[in-house]
Amino acid sequence: MTVEDAGMINFTADYCIAVFISTIGVLQFAFSLGRLRGLLFFKSPLVSRTLGLAMAILGLSLFFGTGTRNINDYEGGLDAPDQALYFSLSALAALTATLAFTSLINHRMKNEDIEPDAGLDTLRDSNYASALKRSVLYWCRNWRTQTKRYFSG
Amino acid sequence: MANPDETLFLWINGFVGVLPILDDAARLAASDYLAPAILALTLIVLWFGEASADIRLKQQVGVFIALSSMGLSGLAVFIANIFYFRPRPFADLDVNLLFYEPTDSSFPANSAATAFGIAFGIWGVNRRVGWFAIGASGSYGLARVFAGVHYPLDILAGIAIAAAVSFAVFRVSEYAMPLLVGVIRCLRILRLA
Repeated sequence: MTVEDAGMINFTADYCIAVFISTIGVLQFAFSLGRLRGLLFFKSPLVSRTLGLAMAILGLSLFFGTGTRNINDYEGGLDAPDQALYFSLSALAALTATLAFTSLINHRMKNEDIEPDAGLDTLRDSNYASALKRSVLYWCRNWRTQTKRYFSG
Repeated sequence: MANPDETLFLWINGFVGVLPILDDAARLAASDYLAPAILALTLIVLWFGEASADIRLKQQVGVFIALSSMGLSGLAVFIANIFYFRPRPFADLDVNLLFYEPTDSSFPANSAATAFGIAFGIWGVNRRVGWFAIGASGSYGLARVFAGVHYPLDILAGIAIAAAVSFAVFRVSEYAMPLLVGVIRCLRILRLA
C-alpha cells in the first residue's frame, strides 16, 4: 500500500465517521420534530433536539478540525460519486444503528393497534422492531387483498 | 474596457487577507464536503421531521425531486463542459488562492448547479427549509469566488441551470407522482416513510 493509498483510506474513514455521527444527531433532531417518540434516545423533545444539533455539529467539527480537507480528488480527496456513495452508506449505517438502539431502549413501547398504511406514524408510540414485525406479519397475511386494488379495473 | 465579471471577481477576491478569520471561514464554506453534507442532512430532516402525514408525503416527494434536480443539474454542466471550457481565475489572473487548483472548467460552476439543484427542490415543497438551503448554497458559491476558484458569472450560470432543471423536474414529477407515491408506500410497509 502506498502512502497516497493510506492517506485516501484515512480521509475516507474520517469522512464516513463524521457523516455517521452527524446523521445520528440529525436523525434525533428530525425524529423529535416528527414526534416519533419510539425513535428517540431521550423522552424530552428539547433534549433530543439539543443533543441532535450538538452531534451534527460535533461530527462535522471532527472532520474539519482534524486535518487538511481541501484536497483534490486525485491527491487523496473524494470525487463527487465517491462522496455520494460514502455519504449514503454512512447515513444508512447511522439510521440502522439508531433503529436498532432505540428498539432496545424503547422495548416497552408496543402499540397493538396497527394501520397498514400508517408508516412512520406508528413510531409515535411503538419501537421500530415491534412496528416492523407487526407490519411485515400483516402484509404477509393480507398482501393479496391489499395489492388487489392496484391490479383490478 | 475591463471585463465586469473579472472586475467583480478581483474585487471580491481582494478581501482575502484582510481578516484571517474570514479567510478560514471561506476555506471551510468553499470546501467540497461541508455544503453538500449540510444539504444532504437537510434532506434527512425533510424526510423524517414532519408530524403531519400529508405534509410529510409532500416533503418526501420533494426529497426525490431535489435529488433528481441535483443529478440532472450536474449532467447539464457536464454536457456544457464538452462544448465550452473556461480556465479557472488563477490560470489567467493574479489571484489570492485559498483552495486547491481544480482542473475542470470554471464555467458553469458544477458546485453551484448541484447545490442549488437540491436547494430549489427543497424550496418547492418547504419554503422555510428551502430558504435555509438556498442560504447554504449561496454561501458555498460566494466562498468559492472569494477563495479564487470561480468567477461570479460561473456561479450565476450554475444557479440558472439549477433553476431551469428544478422547474422542469417539478413539472415532470406531476406525471411521475404515482411512481413516487408507490415507492413511498412501499417504504411505509418498512415503517421508513
